Amino acid sequence: MNESSLREVEKRTYMSYHQDGLIDIFVGVFIISFGLGILLMTVTEFSMWFLVPAIFPAIMVPIWVSAKKQITMPRIGYVKFRSRGANRLMAVLLGLMVAGLGTFMVFSFSSSQAWALTLRNLIISNGMIIIGIGAVIVSVLFAYTMGLNRLYAYGLLALVLSLAGHFVIIPFEYSLLIIGLAIIINGFVLLIGFIRKYPLSQSDETNVEKTL
Amino acid sequence: MSKKPSNLKNIDRLIHEPTRLMIMTQLYVVESADFLFLQNQLQMTPGNLSSHLSKLEEAGYVEIFKEFIERKPHTALELTKKGRNAFKDYQKNLKQVFANLPE
Repeated sequence: MNESSLREVEKRTYMSYHQDGLIDIFVGVFIISFGLGILLMTVTEFSMWFLVPAIFPAIMVPIWVSAKKQITMPRIGYVKFRSRGANRLMAVLLGLMVAGLGTFMVFSFSSSQAWALTLRNLIISNGMIIIGIGAVIVSVLFAYTMGLNRLYAYGLLALVLSLAGHFVIIPFEYSLLIIGLAIIINGFVLLIGFIRKYPLSQSDETNVEKTL
Repeated sequence: MSKKPSNLKNIDRLIHEPTRLMIMTQLYVVESADFLFLQNQLQMTPGNLSSHLSKLEEAGYVEIFKEFIERKPHTALELTKKGRNAFKDYQKNLKQVFANLPE
């Protein structure tokens, strides 16, 4: 029993807790809320579009927690994970990446030097490709550390749609709506499969459990 | 085998039993889990899981406590400090046994 096989057990445990598809539905709705927000801005010129995705967690997190308690826990039981070093490291890496990218963008966009102007034009003209690559990096990081292989597929889908957006000119908000919808559909397929695989047991606590 | 490798006698036989090793491994990678979760993960019958858990509890490796989640009773399980240390020692000793074996 070495460290890598222990990590495998840990990953498998983590995966089994997220096989219900609830996290997919949650992420899908979040992406759709972004798409709807931007769509709202382009159609109605509603300048506070970001309020749509901003209020989303306040509504969805309690629903997700409740769904976990009502659907997942009675079927496969309850587990409390240890705070994992790898996850913390990934969060720090992701934070540094975003901070570094943000600083770089601010500097290059605020500068009037030739290199900054060239870079700015390059970013603007290839925005969809950059967003697609960013989505792939985030998906791969999460897929690897969480052991959820379907996140690789979501990253690939985001890349394909952003490339399509770049070459065929699909508006960004529509790309978001398609990605979000695809993830939600997959989430529901997983949820139905999960409910069928783990039917609800009649008693919450078995007789054997009571004797422990 | 006439002569046992020296480290073999250090192997904790309570943990070495395959089912209990699975239970210990599963509990080692989480903070705590309930009876149902363990049963599903390890594909064990309630009776079998219960009997092995009782042995681990007697040895002081596992703590079993009742808690209420959403007003429903749950049997929560977690490794004690003694259990975690015993598992680490088991890992170390088993590695040593194989390291000492000839090719």
